[in-house]
Amino acid sequence: MDYLSQIYLPGAIALWCAVLFSISTLWGYSLTLAGDKGGAVTFARRSYGFFALSIVLASVVLSLLLMIRDFRIEYVYQYSGMDLPTYYQFSAFWAGQKGSFMIWLFWGVLIGLLVRRTAGRAEPAVMVIYTLSQIVLLMILVRENPFVMLGKTPLDGVGLNPLLQDNWMVIHPPIMFIGYASTAIPFAFAMASLARREYDDWAARAFPWALSGFLVLGTAILMGGYWAYKTLGWGGYWGWDPVENASLIPWIFGTVMIHGLHMERAQGRYRRANYIFAFLTYLSVLYGTFLTRSGVLADFSVHSFVDLGLSRHLIAIMAFFGLPGIYLIATRWRQIPTKPNEDPFLSRGMFMVLATITLLIAAFVITAGTSAPILTRVMKDPSQVGPSFYNKVNLPIALLVAFLLALVPYLAWRGNQASEILRKILWPFVASVAVTAAAAYWKVRDPFHLVFILLASLALATNLQKTVSKAMGPGGLRSAGGYLAHVGVGVILLGIIASSGYDQSAKVTLVQGVPREVEGMTLTFKRFVPRQGREKEHMEIEVAHAGEKPFIVRPKLFINDRTRQVMVNPDIKSSPLQDFYVSPIDFDPGQPRLQLAKGESGRVGDMEVRFEGFDLQAQGNAMAAMAAGQPVTIGATLAVTKNGRTTPLKPLYRLNPANGSVDTPPATLPGGGQIFVSGINATNGAVQLELSGVPNPSKLSLDVTKKPLIQLVWGGLYIVLIGGILATVQRFREVRIREAVGQL
Amino acid sequence: MKKNRLYMFGGVLLLAFAGFSFTAFKDSMTPYVSYERAREGDRIVQVAGGLEKGSSAYVDAKESLFFTLKDPKTGENLRVRYKGLKPANFEDAISIVAIGRYDESAKEFEADKLLVKCPSKYQGAEVKTYS
Repeated sequence: MDYLSQIYLPGAIALWCAVLFSISTLWGYSLTLAGDKGGAVTFARRSYGFFALSIVLASVVLSLLLMIRDFRIEYVYQYSGMDLPTYYQFSAFWAGQKGSFMIWLFWGVLIGLLVRRTAGRAEPAVMVIYTLSQIVLLMILVRENPFVMLGKTPLDGVGLNPLLQDNWMVIHPPIMFIGYASTAIPFAFAMASLARREYDDWAARAFPWALSGFLVLGTAILMGGYWAYKTLGWGGYWGWDPVENASLIPWIFGTVMIHGLHMERAQGRYRRANYIFAFLTYLSVLYGTFLTRSGVLADFSVHSFVDLGLSRHLIAIMAFFGLPGIYLIATRWRQIPTKPNEDPFLSRGMFMVLATITLLIAAFVITAGTSAPILTRVMKDPSQVGPSFYNKVNLPIALLVAFLLALVPYLAWRGNQASEILRKILWPFVASVAVTAAAAYWKVRDPFHLVFILLASLALATNLQKTVSKAMGPGGLRSAGGYLAHVGVGVILLGIIASSGYDQSAKVTLVQGVPREVEGMTLTFKRFVPRQGREKEHMEIEVAHAGEKPFIVRPKLFINDRTRQVMVNPDIKSSPLQDFYVSPIDFDPGQPRLQLAKGESGRVGDMEVRFEGFDLQAQGNAMAAMAAGQPVTIGATLAVTKNGRTTPLKPLYRLNPANGSVDTPPATLPGGGQIFVSGINATNGAVQLELSGVPNPSKLSLDVTKKPLIQLVWGGLYIVLIGGILATVQRFREVRIREAVGQL
Repeated sequence: MKKNRLYMFGGVLLLAFAGFSFTAFKDSMTPYVSYERAREGDRIVQVAGGLEKGSSAYVDAKESLFFTLKDPKTGENLRVRYKGLKPANFEDAISIVAIGRYDESAKEFEADKLLVKCPSKYQGAEVKTYS
């Protein structure tokens, strides 16, 4: 009874119903698998429908609790606040661990309704595995219940982490979780096929799902990178942070999987490997979740996560799906029909093999890097690896990928003569040599980078040519999705090398109103604009290039009201050829304050202040007064130099030990203004001085970066995604057509 | 025959890459070490500690931030130089991680990167990286 009073029942009951209906779903499908030809399937389907409904209800309840700001609920109290605008209540939904598992499950059960319809005869087996993948998430929520109530009703919540109060954070996480949820689908199809010993149809049915998962995850990664670039002020879109890697690794495995499924569809090859790819894609999501949610990386990641005590649970989930998966693959391996690799070297099939191996290596290397704190735990000092590791290792991989991509459009499955390839590739090659020459003329000197640019632009050119010729052909643009995606990869590679290999960055401190030369530009800090309504405090900086019209950038720098943290938002001036990126580091509003030890001097504007020492005889003997418990007066002997003339000054510091009051009569500075002693540091004999009425301009420290061709990174990703959409639509159509003619 | 040679070539290439990744992995590893170990100055390491109050100062002439880290366990001190501007919320940090190498001649730890962990009312603490 006591437990019931600590929990918000409408939400908790929905979760408990979900447990009930998920188990009855399993039961119904199990009966069907055991041979029931009667109502078991209908029962299972209805149960699944109610399971999905319960989860939707639980999510709606949590959203409503956030909307009405019901701070009795611990989760609402932790992530929301009175001042949080309504649309950020959605961000609060997935700001914490519990809510993010909830949104993952929410999408998972909804997608499951569609999976059921596309599974065909394999439905019972697929749905048992898929429902299990939802139940493990549900178990986390039952254990870490988001509807737990506090014993009291606080007037206000803790508030949402200010970094998450951003439009991108409303949309990026839920899309990421659709991507995570969708990796379970090919896994369920693959495992069901192994369990049923039916090795023929699963690939065709899983293919569109694998493609759409790849698309959604890719979109989410794009958004995350864009958020990091636009609002975090890190200066980049990718930092090889564990949380970023946790989404990239499944995406690479997913890429391998769609290529493997393509090989199976076109050539009947890779029939064994595809099981492994589907397995790895899903397991890498679970492993990434374990890495980032269990607290093992807490010391190493910028997104620090606390340990909710979920480590064991997450390891158990990995074992629950991993071990039976390995068992099924191992025991069925020899039964899976496959074709031996008899392709000549210069053939599409061979290049696909090489490409999948290359991508697998990339995924494993990134996994190893991300796991470094665990791998090195056995040694004395657990370590992490820096971005330099990932950059170094992935450069040769990217080179190889670009090379393979460049030739693929001209290769036939049966193989080609080298002379034929050379003839076809001539014009794209000429174009890419021209691009490389332009890069070398610009400022690229590193031979590795030149080769990189040559291969990336060759990949772009050959795939573009093929995309165009395909689009003109009978299949239309719809059939060119794959090639179009490859064009995008070429564009991205060019963007990455230009924007991260040839960016120019400088950290500068600007004095208000004083122009300063930085990297061939003149920057002037114009003014600080205070907060106006919802518009945060920002800075105005004028940027002038020789021979161009000056423009203003407005980066933000403000103190969050709740946490007293300094927050920064960069401002970006984009042009087609480069981004000009300005991120504030520090702002000194110009209230002069000095802390000086004996004999030290400091500057304020055009004045130099030197501290000669304390005067204990300024008004009577200070030591004697102190011993007698009388008011103590200490003078600070200063030498103030202005315009070459030095004036001695002695501001006083008067302490009354009887009531602890402090009186600090100021001294008048030469040329106006006052100086007074704001504190005395007894341990090191230093004095703290404050000045008023002195013209002292404010100062702004900035990180200023020019990022050439960074637009190519975003543009290329868009092209990849458009190509992916075309391919996905095509594969879904194919399943429908094959079903209609009775092939599936 | 030709195929076998191809596989061998691939195998050699893979091995070479594995070796390359392993060295890259070892090179970019930055172990957490004690101040004493860091003072040997033979490699890039991470040291952590609290900020000694009042010890930080930005020196314009050297374009660097100087501060003293204090190991909360041993009470040892380490003087750090960071070639960069003072990060936001630096003075309020509950712990600071400096990544870099000890400079024997200057008797200072030269940090290339700082991780500043600030107290936060949110789940865990807020960590920001500066490089």
